[in-house]
Amino acid sequence: MKHDDFAAQLDAYGDGELMGNEAREMERHLRECAACARAHERQRVLRATMRAQLPALTAPRELRSRVRLALRAAAGVTPARPRPEWRWLAAAAVLVGIVVGTWKITDSRDAANAVVDEVLASHVRALMGTHLTDVASTDQHTVKPWFNGRLDFSPPVYDFAGLGYPLIGGRLDYVAGGPVAALAYGRRQHVIDVFLWPTQRGSTGGPPAVTRQGYHMLHWSAPDYTYWVVSDLGVTELGEFSRLLRQADSTAAR
Amino acid sequence: MEPSQLTRFEAAVLPHLDAAYTLARYLLRDEHDAEDVVQEAYLRALNYFDGFRGAGPVEGRSWLLTIVRNTAYTLRANRRPDAHATEFDETLHSGGSEDEHPETELLRAADRETVQRALDALPVEFREVIVLRELQDLSYKEIAEVAGIPVGTVMSRLARARRRLERAIGAATKERD
Ligand SMILES: [Zn+2]
Repeated sequence: MKHDDFAAQLDAYGDGELMGNEAREMERHLRECAACARAHERQRVLRATMRAQLPALTAPRELRSRVRLALRAAAGVTPARPRPEWRWLAAAAVLVGIVVGTWKITDSRDAANAVVDEVLASHVRALMGTHLTDVASTDQHTVKPWFNGRLDFSPPVYDFAGLGYPLIGGRLDYVAGGPVAALAYGRRQHVIDVFLWPTQRGSTGGPPAVTRQGYHMLHWSAPDYTYWVVSDLGVTELGEFSRLLRQADSTAAR
Repeated sequence: MEPSQLTRFEAAVLPHLDAAYTLARYLLRDEHDAEDVVQEAYLRALNYFDGFRGAGPVEGRSWLLTIVRNTAYTLRANRRPDAHATEFDETLHSGGSEDEHPETELLRAADRETVQRALDALPVEFREVIVLRELQDLSYKEIAEVAGIPVGTVMSRLARARRRLERAIGAATKERD
């Protein structure tokens, strides 16, 4: 091989695409040919500069949700909707002003499932649309008062920014037959939705942890509030976040 | 489609969402177009999924990137029917001989904006091999698959793309200093 042949293969050599004999011959040529050695060094620097200065990008978090929803719709796998009779009951409950807790729900597992569906549907709807928050603020003292007059309770809103879970905002939502507070917190590119309402409305039941369509949901009822936390965040971190919420609640209660 | 099949599909291609977005964004130079193309590509991929026999995550990546790349080209062609012909005319904007090289120190000193501009100024066929190689670390064989060109063409295209980048970065950095 001549100098020109080696020069033409320098990029391939630098990219680790030359094998065995080819690579060994190139190494020998580089020791003998100053022009190729200089070109090789220049290529090495260019490659390092490109890799250092050009970031690989992270897809926006809305895109991830958008893609997943589009896929589910295209595949005919849609999140289960609350069954009509549940919706009708919910509407009726509002109309006549009775509270959820007085309902005689014969199959409580179905009721819990319906809440799981509602929470998930609401979370996904919020992610895909522009309606993640009614009040967008990282300041708990802005978000909490916003609910005044909109709910018959004042939801606890916390500042976990220092712990890596910044507040994004809050919105009014409707779950389990009543208006509820939905608070959005962030974790890297993930959104965590926290749904809560007074426990005195009555238990809706439901499993403490459930995973549906890639979203994790954690649920508990404290003396004051019933919580549903939902996110596509890993279940370990979501558990950590939930512990922070519980601790903050019990500290606030003292 | 069975939910379990969708789950299998998602497991094969969703981990590559960032790679898909990166490629689309650099090819289209517009974030909204990139998002639309990525979504469209995933839907196309879902349709082709039966024909996809690769099992591992690596095969899933090249396969998905191929679809992203082709979807991006379709969008470009629809937007600007003459874009392809114009940009691939290599005699345009070549700025000097292939034998002229900048000082290595100028390349070392280049800042992010300079590098980004130089890449954005490349014809899309050159830009894509650079992005696939330097940002996504694909082998020549994988790049050949994604870009639909022979391995030999990958090698020559990468080499020429780099010479252009060198000259553009060298000139811009010299001007700055
Ligand atoms: Zn030589």
